[in-house]
Amino acid sequence: MTTRVEAAAGARRDLTPQPALSVFGTLVRRGMRDRRRAPLSWGGSLGAMSALIVAIWPSIEGSISKAVRSYPRGLKEAFGIGELNNVAAYLDAEMFSLIVPLALSFFAVRVITSAIASAEEAGHLDTLLAAPVSRRVLVASALATAAAMSAVILAVLGTASWIAGAIAGSGLPLGRLVAALVGVWALAMLFAGLAALATGPLRRPAAVTAVATGTLIAMYVIDLLGKIARDVEPVRWASAFRYYDSPLADGLDPLAAAGLALTGVGLAAVGALLLERRDIR
Amino acid sequence: MFELEVGSDARDTVSGPVTPVIETAELTKTYGESRGIDGVSMTVEAGEVFGFLGPNGAGKTTTIRTLLDLLHPTSGSARVFGLDSRRDTLRIRARTGNLPGDFAYDARLTGREVIDLFARLRGISDLGRARDLAERFEADLDRPLAELSRGNRQKVGLVQAMFHEPELLILDEPTSGLDPLMQEEFLKVVREARERGGTVFLSSHDLDEVERVCDRVGIIRHGRLVDVEEVADLTERAYRHVTLEFSGPVDAAEFAAIAGVTELERSGNRIAFKAQSNLDAVIKAAARHELVDIELTHPSLEEIFLTFYGEHGPR
Repeated sequence: MTTRVEAAAGARRDLTPQPALSVFGTLVRRGMRDRRRAPLSWGGSLGAMSALIVAIWPSIEGSISKAVRSYPRGLKEAFGIGELNNVAAYLDAEMFSLIVPLALSFFAVRVITSAIASAEEAGHLDTLLAAPVSRRVLVASALATAAAMSAVILAVLGTASWIAGAIAGSGLPLGRLVAALVGVWALAMLFAGLAALATGPLRRPAAVTAVATGTLIAMYVIDLLGKIARDVEPVRWASAFRYYDSPLADGLDPLAAAGLALTGVGLAAVGALLLERRDIR
Repeated sequence: MFELEVGSDARDTVSGPVTPVIETAELTKTYGESRGIDGVSMTVEAGEVFGFLGPNGAGKTTTIRTLLDLLHPTSGSARVFGLDSRRDTLRIRARTGNLPGDFAYDARLTGREVIDLFARLRGISDLGRARDLAERFEADLDRPLAELSRGNRQKVGLVQAMFHEPELLILDEPTSGLDPLMQEEFLKVVREARERGGTVFLSSHDLDEVERVCDRVGIIRHGRLVDVEEVADLTERAYRHVTLEFSGPVDAAEFAAIAGVTELERSGNRIAFKAQSNLDAVIKAAARHELVDIELTHPSLEEIFLTFYGEHGPR
């Protein structure tokens, strides 16, 4: 149904809802503009740390390998530290086994929480959802914003690491680096989806953040313990970190990465349906 | 529970009956054990300015938020433009402009960025009307919302609600925070919207504001719609508190005899009473004596409710 009203200037205005894709694009662009500093703050700081590690590798290569050989076996298994005889393994142990996946997942959770739960708490959703914007599109755009901004942050991180490696002559393999970035992105999407799922029944941003980051930490601990404790090993399958593994050191499992990202999308879809069914307060 | 079929005799034309712009049937919303609204049935016709009057917490905002599908009704139904408020909510919201009671959006954005965002979401490329409204309301669109006072934020909210020339304006306490000059401008814009054939649903707890711009009013109290009437009828029933102070003793019976004067009290040279509609006779009677002071005050909305609608419904 097309409805037109006579505007003051004599122009005829089309008062039909915009296509969902157009609304989605508008919200994603707005979301990315709102977080335009994230590549510098998140990507810049993680990239600087990573670049430093890659840059110092040639000077510490011999001593690190020697030191790692003396570490207890259990410790090495728990933290995925194999033989630190190449820069990829060293960068993986220092950054990509804990700091980067946790930081990026937390960032993605924050994007979702801020777009939905924090916006609801602040009364912004009253304004936004009084316009022809569906709740499904709201959730989808929040997830897409998290995906896009996480990718940009990882690109900054990857570029900084690659440049540092090239300058220092560390020999960081580009393929492995890209694999690690894709792996982290997929993991972050899972937790973004989990946060979106939590906004379905939960209104308070603190509760949504607690559920998503609590699960993130719990999954990390389960994976960690599963590697060293035989009793916990059988439940490692429940941890997303089991599927993330160590893509920088061992290469990416494309199926596992796709599974993580698609699970995130699926969780977000369920979150959108739950959000549609409840009141906005 | 009061069920008021107001305007159900919708204007029939040769092309068939006119669909009310808003039609609720036994609309009820409860929050757990708390009351929201209870069995609200009303219709708002196209081209009218409908005032939704009630004290704070009466259920005005709950009704509005249910019409906009922000809240889902516990029972009953609401139709806007003849469309179901839940199933067809996007089509309804595309044709509607809304101002929440306390307009809030991302405080980092300037008013211009907010209007630009909502124009894109609504597919509006011509922002001429937005510029016109911003000028009339003296809205500052260049500063972030965080730096604006509540009144100035409300002005941005008004522009956001009206810039796309919606067929229906739903305004929740729109003038709260606005200075008197801006309130005047707002009422002018509302009248213009009506002249263009638009419909306005305006919630307020300000009887004066409602009297000046609305055609009909619905009165809500404790979540229940207790009455719907023409503004002219409400004005007719409204009374004033009158206090007269004379230079010497005056016979109070002279004022007690005037039709519409009630609750007369005398204290020395001062006489106080309620006068309903017959102020001319009161002034003429007072003018026969040496008057030192005269005071006329409007009753508060709460007082009117207690007088006309009591605790449990209309008298």
